[in-house]
Amino acid sequence: MHALHARLPLTPSMMTAALQALPTVAVDADIAPRDASNDADTRRGASLADLSSLLLPTEPVRPETCVLDVAQAFLDPRHAGLLSLPVVAPDGRPLGMISRYELMRVFLQPYGRELYGRRPIAVLMDRAPLVLPLATSIDEAARAIAVHVKSPITDDFILVDGNGYAGSGLVLDVLHAVENRLAERSGELERAYARLKASRSQLVQSEKMASLGQMVAGLVHEINTPLGYVSNNVEMTRATLADAARLLAAQQGALDAIMGMDEVGAATRLAEVDAWRARVDVDALHDLCELLDDTMHGVGQISELVLNLKDFSRLDQAGMQKADLNKLVESALRIVNHVLRKRDIEVVLKLGVLPEIECAPAQVNQVLLNLLGNAAQAIEHAHGRIVVATQALDRRAIVVIEDNGKGIEAADLPRIFDPFFTTKPVGQGTGMGLAISHQIVEQHGGVIRVSSKPGIGTRFLVVLPLAGAGATP
Amino acid sequence: MSLPTVLFVDDEERILRSLRMLFRGRCEILATTSGREALEWVRQRPVHVVVSDQRMPAMTGVEVLREVATSSPATMRILLTGYADIDAVTASVNEGEIYRFIEKPWMAQQLVATVEQAARVAMHDFALAAERGRQISLAPGDPAFASIAARVAVLDDEGALATQVRELLPPAVQVEHAADIESALELLADHDVALIVARLSSADGDVAEALKQLKALRPATLAVVVSSLRDSRLLIGLINEGQVFRFLLQPPPRELLRRGLIAALERHAQLRAQSNLLRRHAVEAPRALPTATMPGRLLQAWRRLREAAALRIA
Repeated sequence: MHALHARLPLTPSMMTAALQALPTVAVDADIAPRDASNDADTRRGASLADLSSLLLPTEPVRPETCVLDVAQAFLDPRHAGLLSLPVVAPDGRPLGMISRYELMRVFLQPYGRELYGRRPIAVLMDRAPLVLPLATSIDEAARAIAVHVKSPITDDFILVDGNGYAGSGLVLDVLHAVENRLAERSGELERAYARLKASRSQLVQSEKMASLGQMVAGLVHEINTPLGYVSNNVEMTRATLADAARLLAAQQGALDAIMGMDEVGAATRLAEVDAWRARVDVDALHDLCELLDDTMHGVGQISELVLNLKDFSRLDQAGMQKADLNKLVESALRIVNHVLRKRDIEVVLKLGVLPEIECAPAQVNQVLLNLLGNAAQAIEHAHGRIVVATQALDRRAIVVIEDNGKGIEAADLPRIFDPFFTTKPVGQGTGMGLAISHQIVEQHGGVIRVSSKPGIGTRFLVVLPLAGAGATP
Repeated sequence: MSLPTVLFVDDEERILRSLRMLFRGRCEILATTSGREALEWVRQRPVHVVVSDQRMPAMTGVEVLREVATSSPATMRILLTGYADIDAVTASVNEGEIYRFIEKPWMAQQLVATVEQAARVAMHDFALAAERGRQISLAPGDPAFASIAARVAVLDDEGALATQVRELLPPAVQVEHAADIESALELLADHDVALIVARLSSADGDVAEALKQLKALRPATLAVVVSSLRDSRLLIGLINEGQVFRFLLQPPPRELLRRGLIAALERHAQLRAQSNLLRRHAVEAPRALPTATMPGRLLQAWRRLREAAALRIA
């Protein structure tokens, strides 16, 4: 296990990068009891806030110890994982660090061993080693190491406490600690991201439900109105037809009586015919035809609304397909029609000639509904006007939705696509409508832009690539 | 006898055409898609019943009916609508003081019966007014009405509403608190109660059902409901079968509650003075009470109240 440390092909630049990747914000972590055993796995697993968990109780060498004795100390199996040994004065003051690398450099020289072997280690040691207080946080240690480290990495570092020398620490251990903390944090981030994603999709759903809820109120009215006259007309038709059948029967009876020369019978039968004719005549049947025309119209209207609803309920089918943007605009207008009519808002349609575009029609529908709904809500005066224009321009389709409503304050403009940002009264907006629209348009590889003047109106511009998300708008 | 005049207001021409056909021969029919025109007509000629849609472009049905109530109080008002959120239904009670709330699609026979019943009441009132040479007075008139020592029962399982009602009314008015339906019924059997203020908090409908039954037995006792349920269906039932006088959502705005209470006491005084007006508050027959499942004490209370009512009529 210790040999592994020495074999790792670490370069200082890699390490500097790794160490600097550590976020500067300190994260509170539990401080585990200091582990005195020299167990690399425990140390590596540690993800603690300060260096005490990484402390190795390395026995230091004295400055007067001779080079050969220090070399011998390096051969001690307890020191196998160490790059360098601390040099400490008898009073505990750290004086320097002597590295395996430096000894090797000396011994590799001709007669190096003979020349230096008997000399005190003080002549070879690095007199400016990295000395860190035990209380140093892992983050700070990582930054200090990143500044101090040289290529190749030849040294460990010295740990001190109030009494001076406390032990030594391995750069690699710090790196592992950092790595663990990064892993932990990225785990945290991943979990947070997953939570965010879940709550966001919930929000998207609830925004959809909120806009559906507002729509349902209107749609129920839109459907019940034709249903009202349709069912009434059908009921009246049934009653009239029953009367007409009785009239026919009476006439038949009268005719039979006349043909049979039954004068008395004919007189009563004819009186009966007269009575029924008072309830049903040609005019009544004519009116009936008119009512049935209305009925057909009403049924058509209901099925059209249901069809629109069906289109809308496919919101989750984000499948891309060819669609006629002008048709989408018209269908969205039909859905918000009741709101526009209720507020007496004039709609000016300027639909250009458009090739079909590659898009998720239900999602584009949602964007259009949202923009139209906002436009209608922005109008608080009696001369409301919404201009909806489409146009093809250079492999892109453009939709402009412009209202003459109250407009958006300049200070609010940059925030209107932010989630939860709303200027509507509490309970009227979720603040998600435009955020979702923005996202949908972006996912289509398009852009959505807004310009507005308070008191004059607001214009939204949606640009979608004809070829779908793959193309650049 | 001449035919009553019924005015239909709806922004859908086809609805008007259909209604015209349904009421052909039963009444003088006026029909318009414009709320303004409807109001013009009501001001210019006697209109016995106005049947209006709620959602219309320029004016809502409640707005139309509120104006009708002001300019021609004897005209009976009916809302005929495809959808109404709780706010619209609430406004139809509190501002429009409507006779019935009917939903589209309607049942032809029921609509005809309701309109004809309303028309009979209105024709009677119009005739009476013509006799006296003035319009019938339903507007809050003599404030002395409200100051008589009326008795108000507050049905509230918590008691906070009773306290509030007591604070809002003049001291001459006796406010009694009933914690449950039995005590409320006992109160009603023993005393002449002008107004019952009830708190609706659960969906089980006991209180709402009791109010409807009560209206059938004591038409002159007016009901003000404070509800924590935003349920338009419940409220529509309370209008058609209970002729609830005011409906406020919990917590009731103080001033609104006060004005509602005073208006109710005034109306009660008018009803006592002119018993013919009671017919304006006639209700659809409520469902029979589920006597089989009713606890003995409650059953007893209803029986007493019924007997007391019979005595009063006799």
